Amino acid sequence: MAEALILDAKAVNALANPKVRGAQAQRAAAILQLAYQKRALVRVPAPVLAQVCRGVRHDSAVNHLLNNPGVRVVELSRTAAQQAGHMLARHKLSSAHAIDAFVVATALQFDTAVIATADPKDIRRLTASFSRIGIFAL
Amino acid sequence: MAQSAAKLSVSIPGELAEAVRKRVGARGLSGFVARAVAHELEREGVRVLLADLGDQLGQPSKADMARARKAWPKR
Repeated sequence: MAEALILDAKAVNALANPKVRGAQAQRAAAILQLAYQKRALVRVPAPVLAQVCRGVRHDSAVNHLLNNPGVRVVELSRTAAQQAGHMLARHKLSSAHAIDAFVVATALQFDTAVIATADPKDIRRLTASFSRIGIFAL
Repeated sequence: MAQSAAKLSVSIPGELAEAVRKRVGARGLSGFVARAVAHELEREGVRVLLADLGDQLGQPSKADMARARKAWPKR
């Protein structure tokens, strides 16, 4: 199966609003460029949208990004949601970390994946036992 | 709901046709081609996004590209 770049909320915001997100956007552009070179897929887990969508008046930049055919939203499946719950339990994390766990569960659907995130510490805890998932800190 | 299928007639180099038939067989050809086309369309979207980001931010720095390569897991 394929390689993928998984975008968390900060990565989506950085790519959607590059002028506002300066340094984060430059780093997000770097990992996106590498994903392109590696022919990797670019994916946004659907639960991430709950963190970035704040109403019709505020969503235009995010919608513009998500309307790009190269950036696809991955729906949350029952299997992935249950896998996320198991991860939270294994690491003794509360459901406050549920979206991080959904992001990792999405990454696990690919042979190898990199998660672009501004919160590498939280994600790293969940990916510690998965060598096929890399983390790129924005 | 199942998506409707369209029939396309395309020409590709003979060697490529043989390689793909060997890989997926005649019955798997349509699915293989559909996946390949979908992937190329996605890549085109990413290329456009990168061009737009380049216009706004300039090209990624060597340091950021090096960090990106380091983060990418080995296959």
